[in-house]
Amino acid sequence: MIWAAKRIGTSLLLVWLVITLVFLAIHFVPGDPAELLLSQGGAAPDPDQVAQLHEQLGLDRPLLEQYAGNLRGLVHGDLGQSMQDQAPVVDSIADRLPRTLELIAAAAVVALGVGIPLGTAAATRPGGWLDRIGTAVAALLLSLPVFVLGTLLVLVFAQTLHWLPAGGYISLTTNPVRHFQLLAMPALTIAAGLAAVVYRITRGAVADVRQRDYVRTARAKGVAPARIMRRHVLRNALIPVATVIGLQLGGLLGGTVLVEYVFNYPGLSGLLIDAVSARDYPMVEGIVLVISVLFVGLNLLLDLLYGVLDPRVRQA
Amino acid sequence: MTIRRRALVAGTVALPFLRIPARAAGTPGQLVFGLSSYPPNFNPWVQAGTAAGTVTLQVHRGLMSYGPDGQLRGELAEKWERDGDAGWVFTLRDASFHNGAKVTSADVKYSIEQVSAPKSTAYMRAQFQGVDRVETPDPRTVRIVMKQPTETLPLWLAAFEMPVVAAGSADTGKTPIGCGPFTITKQERGVSIDLAANPNFYKPGLPKLKTLRFVVYADETARVAALQTGDVDLIEYVPWQSMAGIEADPKLRLQNTEGPFMYLTFNGATGPFKDPKVRLAVAHAIKRDEIVKSVFYGRGAVLAGAPLVEASPFHDKTLSDGWAYDPARAKALLAEAGLGGGFNCTLLATAQYSMHKDTAEIVQQNLAAIGIQVELALPDWATRVSLGNRGQYQFAVNGTTADSNDPDGLSALIDSTLGPSAARSFDLGDGSIAKALAAGRAEFDPTKRAAIYTDLQKLVLAQTPIVSLAWRAQGYAMAAAVKGFTNMPGALTFFSGTTLEETTLGG
Repeated sequence: MIWAAKRIGTSLLLVWLVITLVFLAIHFVPGDPAELLLSQGGAAPDPDQVAQLHEQLGLDRPLLEQYAGNLRGLVHGDLGQSMQDQAPVVDSIADRLPRTLELIAAAAVVALGVGIPLGTAAATRPGGWLDRIGTAVAALLLSLPVFVLGTLLVLVFAQTLHWLPAGGYISLTTNPVRHFQLLAMPALTIAAGLAAVVYRITRGAVADVRQRDYVRTARAKGVAPARIMRRHVLRNALIPVATVIGLQLGGLLGGTVLVEYVFNYPGLSGLLIDAVSARDYPMVEGIVLVISVLFVGLNLLLDLLYGVLDPRVRQA
Repeated sequence: MTIRRRALVAGTVALPFLRIPARAAGTPGQLVFGLSSYPPNFNPWVQAGTAAGTVTLQVHRGLMSYGPDGQLRGELAEKWERDGDAGWVFTLRDASFHNGAKVTSADVKYSIEQVSAPKSTAYMRAQFQGVDRVETPDPRTVRIVMKQPTETLPLWLAAFEMPVVAAGSADTGKTPIGCGPFTITKQERGVSIDLAANPNFYKPGLPKLKTLRFVVYADETARVAALQTGDVDLIEYVPWQSMAGIEADPKLRLQNTEGPFMYLTFNGATGPFKDPKVRLAVAHAIKRDEIVKSVFYGRGAVLAGAPLVEASPFHDKTLSDGWAYDPARAKALLAEAGLGGGFNCTLLATAQYSMHKDTAEIVQQNLAAIGIQVELALPDWATRVSLGNRGQYQFAVNGTTADSNDPDGLSALIDSTLGPSAARSFDLGDGSIAKALAAGRAEFDPTKRAAIYTDLQKLVLAQTPIVSLAWRAQGYAMAAAVKGFTNMPGALTFFSGTTLEETTLGG
C-alpha cells in the first residue's frame, strides 16, 4: 500500500514538474501572443493596442501571479481559455484528443496485427525467406520518414487510384463511411513504422524464448508445437513487446504532427504545434498537461500492474 | 472456409475497380473552399489573417467594398458624397441583418465607435480615431465628420476589417450579427466552417450558391491534392511550385495576381543602416530576378521601386525601376558612406516560411558581392515578429501586401513615425514620408493628389525606408466548373472572398 502511495506521489510530482517547466519555457521563449494576434496577415500592430491586449489577456500581471493563477485553475479542473478565440482550452482538447486516440488505436491494431504474426513466423525460421524479406522491409519502413510515406500514399490512393480522399476529417456520427476512409491513410502511415518496430522486437523476443530451457523441456515432453508457441513462447515473448509498444504509443500522443499535416487530420499534435506557434500559453499548458497525465498515468498503471504480477518489484 | 478464401481473393482482385467516391465537392450549388488556416478568432474588426478575412466577408459587410475589377463601390452605402470640408454623407440601402433587423445609421455609428474606442484592438483603429463625430440624421443617413479633410475615408470603409454589425451585438460575450451573403450554420474548430445562403441578402439574386463550406488545409501540398482529387472546389494560397501542374490540368483553373510583395526593413536607431546611402546601396545590390526565379518559380515580378501596383492610377512608371540592380553604384554608395571596405551584419528572417528564408539567402549572396557579409538569423515566426517589433535586428526580410491599391494603403509599411512594428523599419526617416502621406490623404483634387504621390515615390526611392524586392503571384485555383470567382487585382487579392457571392458551381 505504501509502495503504491509512493508511486502515485512520484507521478503527481512528475506532472507538476512538467507543468512548471512548460510554463517557464513557453513564457521565457521569445514571442508575444498579443503581438502575434495583432500581426496576422503581416499587419503592423499599434504598440498601444498590444498593451491593451496584454491587459485583456492578463499578460500584464507578474509571472508568479500568472503561474499561481494557472495552478489554482488546474486544481479546480479549469485549463483556462485560448488566447486566440477565448474558447475554453478543455473544449479544444476534448475535440482533438479522441481523434488522436482513435488514430493511434487504429495504427496500433494494424501494427500489432501485422508485426506480431510476421515477427513470430520469421523467428521460427531464422534466416529463411520470410525472415530476410521481413527484416529488409522493416528496415525500409523504419528509415522512411512519415511525410514521405504519407505523400506517396496520397499520390497512389487519392490522386492516381481515387480510392480514398486525400485528407481531412469528418466525425463518425456525420458520415461513418467517409470517417473511416479519412482515417485509413494516416493510420496506415503511422502503422507502417510501428509494425516494423513490433516485427523486430517480436522476432528477437520469440527467437530468444525459443532457446529457453522450459521450451526445450516442453518439446521433449511432446507438447504440440502450436501449443508450445501459444502457451510458452508467445506469452513470455510478448512482455517486452508490450513494454515497447506502450512507450511508442505514449510518444505518439504528441508526436503525430507530420502525419496530421500531410493528411490534414485535426488531432492533438497539430493543435499543440499551432498553439506553440501562436504562443497561446493556456492552450500549450493544457495540452502538455493532458499528454503528461496520460503518459505518466499509463506508466503508473503499468508499474502498479508489475507490482501485482511480480512481488519482487514491490520489495525493490 | 473455402467460401471465405474465395471471397477474399475476389475482393482483392476487385479492389482496383472499386473507385470509392472520394469526392466531397462538386455538388451544384454547394461549394467547398480549401482554406489555408482556421481563423484564430471571429472578431470582425481585428486583422486575423487572410483566411479569416475571406470568412468575414461572407458573414459581414461594410459601408463600402470593391468590385471584382478592384473599383471602389458602395456596399451598404447606396450613395456617398463629400459634405463640407471634413464630412462625408452616406445613404444606406435597404438591407437587413441576419436576425431580420434593418441596417440603420445607428448600427454604422455603433460599429465605428467600437473600432475607434480607446481600448479597441481593431485593425483600423488609428485611422478611425481621426473621426470627429458620427451623426445619424435619419435611419438611412450617416454623416461622418473627420477631424481633418480625408479623401481616403471611403477606402478605409471598404476594408474587410470595417464591417457594420447590429448595434450592441459586439458587446462583451456576444456574437456580432452581420448582414453578409451567408450565415454560419456550423463550425468545427480547426476543421471546417459551414455556411448557408442568406435568403434576405440585400443584392437580389445573390448569393448564387446555396451552401459554402470552408475546410482547412494548413499544408499547401495537402491543399493542392484536395483540389486535384475533387475533395474541394477552390483553394487559396496556391504554392508556386504547383502552379504549372494546375495550369496543365484541363479540369482545373488558376487565377494569379501580383499584389503581395517581399521587402527589406531596417533598424534606423543603430548600426550601419541608419545611413540612407547604405540602405540605397543594398537596394542596388539585389538581383531581384533571382528571387523571382528561385523563390517563386518565376511566378512574380521584379519590384525595384515603391510597392505600388501598376493598376493604381498613381503608379509612376518612370520611377518604378529606381532601385535597379547596379552593383557599381552600390559599391560607390558604400564608399560615400565610409564603408567602402564592407562590413558584417545580421539579416533577420524566419525558417518557418520558405519564401522568407529563401529570399534571405539570395540577399545574403548578393550583398557579399559588394562586400557586405551577412549572417542569417532564422528563428521561428513568433520570435521573428517579437524581435522586429522591438527593433532587435539590423535588417530584416518581410512579406506582405498593402491595405489597398491606393498609395495611402502603404502607410503602415513606409511611415516609420507610426511607432515600432515588425512590418516596417524601426525608428527611421525624418517624417517627410509621413507628411507626404498626410498631404495625399487630405487632397481631393485628383491631379494634385497624383503630384503628391509622384513626390512620395521619389521620396521613397531617396530615403529607402524599405527596399522592395519582388512581387509574388498570389493564386487561387479552382475546378473548371467554378464560375464567377475572381482573384481581385493587386493588393485587393485578399478581398477576393467578396466575389463568392457571385460564384456558381456546375448546375
